[in-house]
Amino acid sequence: MAKKDEILKSFLTHELLESKYELDKDSLPKTVRDALNSDITIIRTLALIIEGLDGSSPVTDSVLRNQVTQYLNEAI
Amino acid sequence: MIIRKIQIENYLCYYGISTFELSEGLNIILGENGEGKTKFFEAIDWLFNGENSQLDKLVSAKKLEETELGDSFRVSVTMIVEQYGLKNIITKSFQAKKDKSNECSASIFHVEGIEENSLGERNQVDGIQLLDRIFPFQIRKYSMFKGEAELNIFNNEYALLNLINLFSDAKHYDKYTEKGAYLRKNAEKAVEDSSKMDKKNELLYKNLEREIILLEENKSKCNDVLNEIEAEIKAIEINLQDAENHVNNADALDILNKRIKELENKISYLNGRIDENYTTHLFDENWILVDFEDVHKIYTEKISFFSKKRREMQTEFDKQIGVKEGEKKAIQELLNKSIPLPIGTPSKAHMEEMLNDEICKVCNREAKKGSDAYEYMVERLNVYLQSQIANDIKTEDNKPLFQYNYLNRLENYSMSHEDNLKNIRILRSKINELFEFNANRKQDIEILKAQLELEQSERSKILGDSSKSEEGLKSTLSSYNTWQNNLRTQNEKSIKLNSSLKNFETEIKLKRAEKDKIDLNSANSFFVRTRNILRDIETIFSDTKEKKFDEFIEKLQIKSNNFFKKINIDAFTGSIIFKRSIKGNNTIVDVNLHEEGRVFYRPNQSLLTSMHISILFAISELASEIKEENFPMIFDAPTSSFGESKTAQFLNLVYETKNQKILLLKDFIQRDESKVLFIKKEFEMIKRDKAFWVKLERPFDVNNLKTINSQVITI
Repeated sequence: MAKKDEILKSFLTHELLESKYELDKDSLPKTVRDALNSDITIIRTLALIIEGLDGSSPVTDSVLRNQVTQYLNEAI
Repeated sequence: MIIRKIQIENYLCYYGISTFELSEGLNIILGENGEGKTKFFEAIDWLFNGENSQLDKLVSAKKLEETELGDSFRVSVTMIVEQYGLKNIITKSFQAKKDKSNECSASIFHVEGIEENSLGERNQVDGIQLLDRIFPFQIRKYSMFKGEAELNIFNNEYALLNLINLFSDAKHYDKYTEKGAYLRKNAEKAVEDSSKMDKKNELLYKNLEREIILLEENKSKCNDVLNEIEAEIKAIEINLQDAENHVNNADALDILNKRIKELENKISYLNGRIDENYTTHLFDENWILVDFEDVHKIYTEKISFFSKKRREMQTEFDKQIGVKEGEKKAIQELLNKSIPLPIGTPSKAHMEEMLNDEICKVCNREAKKGSDAYEYMVERLNVYLQSQIANDIKTEDNKPLFQYNYLNRLENYSMSHEDNLKNIRILRSKINELFEFNANRKQDIEILKAQLELEQSERSKILGDSSKSEEGLKSTLSSYNTWQNNLRTQNEKSIKLNSSLKNFETEIKLKRAEKDKIDLNSANSFFVRTRNILRDIETIFSDTKEKKFDEFIEKLQIKSNNFFKKINIDAFTGSIIFKRSIKGNNTIVDVNLHEEGRVFYRPNQSLLTSMHISILFAISELASEIKEENFPMIFDAPTSSFGESKTAQFLNLVYETKNQKILLLKDFIQRDESKVLFIKKEFEMIKRDKAFWVKLERPFDVNNLKTINSQVITI
């Protein structure tokens, strides 16, 4: 398993996703690639940040911020 | 990675080429102090970390001595390593040139690397790069330890953090917490800016912000004071724990002193009760008469005998007196019928003369023998003589048979003694009683003296073991009580401060909720939702990082305690506890020994060494798991405080661990009567994969380095 997928997996075990976002743990994506296609805002935001930091081409802070804000602007 | 061979050439006490063919598991190198053990360690350390200075100080004096002036020789340390089945050779060397009789100059050193590929082909590569690749610097840092002190890699509070960064997943999450905070802050700002656009809320919003800042400041101050108080609590606890040994000693000393005093009093009392003034008793208490009864018996028998005899004699005497009295009366009766001549006329002598001359010279007539005249004279003489006998008897009549009655006195004595006999008869038992009493008291005293000796030796032991004098112990006892009071006070303060902190947190939470409410009503809903999601993401990032951190710490703690319990089998029952805390902006980790639920601040050196080695072994095991590779560990005299038995136990434990270990020890070596070194039989029982003995070639001159050469003997 790729490091970024391991990182995603560890984030997705956080209890907030179940308690606040009412997400079913079994239906959560296993890879960053899948998470980037997720319909769930928080999952996709997490995936965007992971890809930005541990993906094949890491991005700067402002680029990351733009990517996240832009996505959230469309999603919510 | 396994070190297969270490080759040392003309390096200090290693003259010529000395080779250590090492095994994969536990390698033990034995050596007496000063015979080459530590120089082996230093040679490897020089290979790994040595600087290019004072190299001339590293040459073998023996090699230098035999080198001709102007000639050169090589000094080197070579390590042959196996990694993933391939061989790598790293050699660090320099040339030493003899300039003067005892001096040399050295070239700069070279580190050569030879890499062997799977086909067995060798390629020369950069030695330093090769070393860093096969045995990374960060790992080497936790692989070599000289002495017990170096085992404590946690002497600074960030040491464990470095380890975590090396071996834990937690390091990957640092950037996430950082970026999470960055994104959240930007989102917060966007919300605030949006809220402030609504002028009616501006003042309220600013006030809330000010209050939150103020509360945060107070919370931070409160936190600082709490940290100070906790540091003070720790210091007091250390003092108390340190004093506890002394307090226990002071208590024990107090009890012992009382017991000693009590025993001394008892001994003194018993000594006073022992009565051995036997000479006085002999006379004053009549002990001398103890056997008097037998004497008295003989005495009374004799008295009785003599009394009877005396009475018999007296009776006989009285009888004789009676007879003589009768005779006297008869004579007197006879004499009363005639008139005797006056006494002296003629005298007896005259009468005998006349009879002899046969002449009566009274009447001047012849009186021949047989004549009547003669017979008459004879008759008269006899009458005269008889009258003389009667007179004698009369004289003796007045003299008693026993002039003094001694027997009577003796009989009185006898009766008197008879009366005293009952007192004399109990003398023997009295004497026996006194002797028995004295003997029993002496026995009691002996027992008490033995007890006293024990108590005194215990007392000396306490005072000897204690670093404090008797007065010091008393003073510690007094300080101990003060510290206990201080601890109580500080704990109370800590409780209050914790409560205040919680209040600040609640208040801040309330103010933020109030601010959020304004945001909800005033700010752009997109900004609010974005902020909320990014807040959650930040929480997920920081919690996950902490979780990873804690998982590593927990794993390290479990592994460390597994080793720790094996090393301290049947001894210390506590455990190693890793505690994460925040200091300023940094996370730090405290490592302590806990026993019975509290920190054990002053463990002895042996326990500390066990703790440090256990953590190092745990790190090594974790490194093997995480890096999927084993790295060697080299220890020089790691167990000086252990004692041979514990060292043996420790070595058998090390043998069971996975990665390669090289241990340099001075244990198991002894000198015989001729001062010749030998390896003790106990070493045969030590489990190991390979063992060496480094010893100086004999004979050598202790004052002349030119005679020194360490030999390597494979055991």
